[in-house]
Amino acid sequence: MHERNGLAIIGGSLLGAIALLAGLPPGARAHGVSVQSRTTNAVEIQAVYDSGKPMENAQVQVYAPDDPSTPYFVGQTDNRGRFVFAPDQAGDWEISVRQAGHGKIVVIPVESGGAIAETFTNDAGLTPLQRGVMAGAVTWGCVGTALYFRRGKV
Amino acid sequence: MRSLSQVALCASLPLWLLACGAPTAEAPTEDTASEPAAEVAEADGDMGELEIRANGEDFVREGFVTKDGWEISFDHVYVTLDEVTAYQSEPAFDAEAGGMPEASVMVNTESPITVDLAAGDESADPVLVETLSAPAGRYNALSWKMVPAMAGDAEGYPIVMVGQAMKDGETIAFTLKLDPELVFVCGDFVGDERKGILDAGGKADLEATFHFDHLFGDAGAPPDDDINTGALGFDPLAAIAQNGVLDVDSAALSEQLSAEDYNLLLSILPSLGHVGEGHCSETQLTRS
Repeated sequence: MHERNGLAIIGGSLLGAIALLAGLPPGARAHGVSVQSRTTNAVEIQAVYDSGKPMENAQVQVYAPDDPSTPYFVGQTDNRGRFVFAPDQAGDWEISVRQAGHGKIVVIPVESGGAIAETFTNDAGLTPLQRGVMAGAVTWGCVGTALYFRRGKV
Repeated sequence: MRSLSQVALCASLPLWLLACGAPTAEAPTEDTASEPAAEVAEADGDMGELEIRANGEDFVREGFVTKDGWEISFDHVYVTLDEVTAYQSEPAFDAEAGGMPEASVMVNTESPITVDLAAGDESADPVLVETLSAPAGRYNALSWKMVPAMAGDAEGYPIVMVGQAMKDGETIAFTLKLDPELVFVCGDFVGDERKGILDAGGKADLEATFHFDHLFGDAGAPPDDDINTGALGFDPLAAIAQNGVLDVDSAALSEQLSAEDYNLLLSILPSLGHVGEGHCSETQLTRS
């Protein structure tokens, strides 16, 4: 199980951190920390109420296709109701978003490589305004794996 | 009622360049929840036990304070469920998109069952409605009808609430007998744990959850929270009690409440049914 928090903040500041580390001489790396980077596909969701108000700090549980019982990622949405995760296998990923006794589960089909299946749509019933609130596949360039993914068990 | 509207998604590179496509929800089909039990589908493969449970949550088992300050405790909350149907839906069913689950496998109860949601203490498990023998698989949708009880204390009514309301030294013993028939169609259970994942030879459960805070509001939530702004509260009911007693059915409520309050009551009932924290679609009262 993997934990993510504060995604909107991490996304912007992380790239700066990676660039800084890359410019340091080897001897300046304290305690033998090694940071590697890769480009990966990630899925971003945004959860809102009917009113359009973001589900701020909502509880998020992400279930991988091969285990619908145990959360693979857990965390919280940011202040815009957003949450990002990087699927590492193809199949249907299920995302539960909950707050104050109300919640929803969505299923996102992911293809090999982490991209969202082109056939996927999930905007049934959305108003035009709500349709502007959506989630997408995002590619984060040079994202440091060690920083971007907190591998701690929860 | 506070409601998570949608979590929608589309592919974009970079962000937000591509809008989502057309809705995927199927047009409403026949009301499967109202089909006779004889049409329960049987699937090949190993079987397991699927428990159907009903849960009034802590609001019912422990009591609560309404949005207008009445301390409510329930002796009984009877609900009568019929044609409780569990589906292996593919694709996953989105209640807010409407329609019915598309399922190749479904199992259901065969006769109305009345349960008391207030049974047990605060640590009690949700009430067992029935255990069904079911093909293994993912049961990710649930529907049920609420019909008049055939016998017992709730006879003639789908919902009967019996309890006391206390405020500022005043106590009202209430019995609310509500008769609108309701049909709830819901997707996957949303909660701390997943439900409905049935292995061959194993046991799993599904839960019909009832949010009575939608009716009375919750003093524990801010006054401007949707759970309170959309709730009836207890003041309108206290106002029609006589000598500390309120024993009314829907007809009496229609006569004695203001039209505004009675219509509000009717408008809240379709939001009672949930699957954990997941919302359902009510297809009977809202259609009439």
